[in-house]
Amino acid sequence: MSGAWLPLATLATSLLASLIIFALPEHRHSIRTTVNILAATLKLALVAAMTWGVFQGRFYGISYEMLPGVRFVLRADAVAMLFAGLSALLWLFTTLYAVGYLEGSPNRSRFFGFFSLCVASTLGIALAGNLFTFFLFYEMLTLSTYPLVVHRGTPKALRAGRQYIIYTLGGGAVLLLGVVLLYQLEGDLAFRETGHLMGSDPARYPALIGIFALLVAGLGVKAALVPLHGWLPTAMVAPAPVSALLHAVAVVKAGAFGIVRVVYDIYGIDFAASLGVLEPLAWVAAFTVIYGSLRALWQSDLKRRLAFSTVSQIAYIVLGISLFGPLGTVGGLVHLLHQGIMKVTLFFCAGNYAETLGVHRVDELDGAGPRMPLTSLAFTVAAFGMIGIPPLAGFVTKWMLGRGALAADMAWVIPVLLLSSLLNALYFLPIVYRLWFRPLRGDWPAERALGRLETHALLLWPPVFTAVLTVLVGVLAAAPFSPLAWADLVALRMYLP
Amino acid sequence: MSWAFSAAVLLPLLAASLVATGSTRFLLWRLLPWLPLPALLLATQVRDASVDIPWLMLGARWQLDTLRSPFLLAASLLWGGAGLYARAVLEGAERERWFLSSWCLALAGNLWLIVAGDAVGFYAGFALMTFAAWGLVVHADSPRALWAGKVYIAMAVLGELALLAGLLLASELAGGSVLLAEMATALGRSQQPGLALGLLLTGFGVKAGLPLLHFWLPLAHPVAPTPASAVLSGAMIKAGLLGWLVVLPLGLTSLPAWGTMVMALGLIALLGAALRGIWTREAKTVLAWSSISQMGLATLMLGAVLVEPALWWLVSGWFGLFVLHHGLAKGALFLSVGLSLPGAPVARGLALLVVALPALSVIGLPLTSGEAVKRWLKDSVSGDLAGAVPWQPWLPHLLSLSTLLTLLLLLRWWWLLRSGDGSTAVATLPWVAWLLLAALSLGLPLYAPILL
Repeated sequence: MSGAWLPLATLATSLLASLIIFALPEHRHSIRTTVNILAATLKLALVAAMTWGVFQGRFYGISYEMLPGVRFVLRADAVAMLFAGLSALLWLFTTLYAVGYLEGSPNRSRFFGFFSLCVASTLGIALAGNLFTFFLFYEMLTLSTYPLVVHRGTPKALRAGRQYIIYTLGGGAVLLLGVVLLYQLEGDLAFRETGHLMGSDPARYPALIGIFALLVAGLGVKAALVPLHGWLPTAMVAPAPVSALLHAVAVVKAGAFGIVRVVYDIYGIDFAASLGVLEPLAWVAAFTVIYGSLRALWQSDLKRRLAFSTVSQIAYIVLGISLFGPLGTVGGLVHLLHQGIMKVTLFFCAGNYAETLGVHRVDELDGAGPRMPLTSLAFTVAAFGMIGIPPLAGFVTKWMLGRGALAADMAWVIPVLLLSSLLNALYFLPIVYRLWFRPLRGDWPAERALGRLETHALLLWPPVFTAVLTVLVGVLAAAPFSPLAWADLVALRMYLP
Repeated sequence: MSWAFSAAVLLPLLAASLVATGSTRFLLWRLLPWLPLPALLLATQVRDASVDIPWLMLGARWQLDTLRSPFLLAASLLWGGAGLYARAVLEGAERERWFLSSWCLALAGNLWLIVAGDAVGFYAGFALMTFAAWGLVVHADSPRALWAGKVYIAMAVLGELALLAGLLLASELAGGSVLLAEMATALGRSQQPGLALGLLLTGFGVKAGLPLLHFWLPLAHPVAPTPASAVLSGAMIKAGLLGWLVVLPLGLTSLPAWGTMVMALGLIALLGAALRGIWTREAKTVLAWSSISQMGLATLMLGAVLVEPALWWLVSGWFGLFVLHHGLAKGALFLSVGLSLPGAPVARGLALLVVALPALSVIGLPLTSGEAVKRWLKDSVSGDLAGAVPWQPWLPHLLSLSTLLTLLLLLRWWWLLRSGDGSTAVATLPWVAWLLLAALSLGLPLYAPILL
């Protein structure tokens, strides 16, 4: 098949990197770093090439029969490139950041090995061409992130890891049940932009509704839909780069992305709407949006506050998916990228405060702005983006979601968006105020001198760069190849077969 | 053309980065009065311009027309004069980095919203200005400033949310367009514009000090450093008014119920705020109440236009005159609060008389711009409404009453100014800044006919 090598090479890059890193002795850190950066850069280039091809209508894919009737399918379509592009881009930054973050700490071979494996799984999820392949990589992601969550080996980390694995494997089992039942009913369904089930026998509708619930519940664990979100705030004990991976690049996104695939590429948006499953999904998402923000408000630990914020923000994506109509779709899909860029910035910054100053709690941040101006500037930009202040990334999302809700005659979503913006302001603005306006109270909890800049260069530049991206994706939203333009392209292909 | 607009907005935005180090800060203080210069050139040199930038944000447009030009002119003059004053009194003071960055960002936002022809640009500028100005409000770091800042930011966030919802609804009516002109047209054509109108009136009303949404204003405006009070009360308050003017369907459709309500709110502001202000004990607070009262004039006129659309073509120029008049006079009045008066009794008395001059314009004495503003308003609302508003016959009397109340209010201000402690060392630069704004304000009747 033509065009098979590009998706395979993209996957192989991180798999190979992972194997090399596992094989390297612990002390060979310069080789390890070189391999890491090379693989990340190469993968970004491959994904960029593939994105260009997909834009021009070229086909990349591979399909072969693993078991009788079950095929392993990789396929690059527009929505796949949205997720692949996000992970490839943010992975590069996260890798750089992780190299700086873990400098001098033990077990780095293990860490970076699983780190690469995790990103390989994410790319697999993005490029999977049917539910079976998707499930395979989805579980691989669970298994490769577990060692990262428990990396520090403290009792707290182990407890968080246990909770993480129980939640995600449980979710995986439910997902598998849904996949198998759907297979029995409808056979092996390759993802297709307009879905498959439009012409189904009406007698099967109840079963299809039940299967939809199973699939979404299974995926909802990783997407942290309430009440399946419990693992996410606990898992914030993991090192900052892992949090970035969980919250922005890979894990929660895999869940949300799975829901995109199920709604659009299996059921088809028209069919899902006529089946009546979108409205309940919208309610769950709306509830999660508000619940996550409310909980974030009461957290005094910075990373925990950010974690509940993720719960809320990922639900925006699901909310957009459940709004019938291209505008809602665009809003949901574009947030897949926007949330990733903003949240990765916030977690990088939280990591910088923790590593450089020993600050973990919000009320310890007084005066951190003048001490770490670039980090704090990046944090401020991302926080305002999250609140939805124009022209930053989050505003574009909210605008598209709002218009999508009005177009879909679901105006009740607007108050939800407004309330969530208000709550976002309530839990982000006090942090900004502390950073910049409050004077420093005595010494920092545990200050370390890391390099000549305000912190280690590898910790500083990734958040600065992603903060610049937060501005750019909003300011250039209407330019070609912006996330918004790409989401438009995806929606166009989904609604106009 | 586009570069001239970009320069006007980007110069203060980029200048904010100069706060980073001591030596660039020195430079920034010297640049501060000149930051609005490109905007001033734009306002004076360009009559009508509209530049589309399809790739920017959700499709942006720079726009300058007869409506926006006076806003840009007033804002750039006021920010320039107040910038000179700020340099004189705040350079080297505590938290100067905080002040400088807030100042530059608020300025950039204020200029941006004026020249934005699209809702996203307007909203972005509005938000930038609002959040940055919060930095000016809390600058003193006193319990009073922090409390004012809390009330300010709470009301600002609520205003922003009402605005977001209103703009979304208006954009939906306009078939997804983000251009303000198209939104206004769509609101005019819509059968049920009620919710969108209510949200937009509220969202901008917070900034404009509309009664019931006004209570943050007498707390926040006076507590900022004096030059910041001047731009808050002279320039930024006008952003709410401009918002109404560019997005409401003025001259397109008659909205008697909305119009009457807006007129009533304008009257309440005009009379109520003046009355309330007389009972306050601080010169700057009196001026803040006076701002609410004066904005009532514009609200009243806006309501009249909503009732009688034909009026719009006659009075659209009035808003430009009002903005220049009130912006410059109020700016000068605020700056005079911080001026160091001579200690010798005669010189002191003379100085006090001189600084009272801009107040005469606000009161509306003959030969001042205030008089022109009031006369034009009186003529419009007494002639063209033709009984559409039940209490129309009372309007001229109420306007005369407002003149009396404004007189009392500003006498109160002058009394408070007089009883302030004098200082012997008279600094020149603040006086230069004051003189600039006062001269521009008093000379307005001479040069306004050329501009408007």
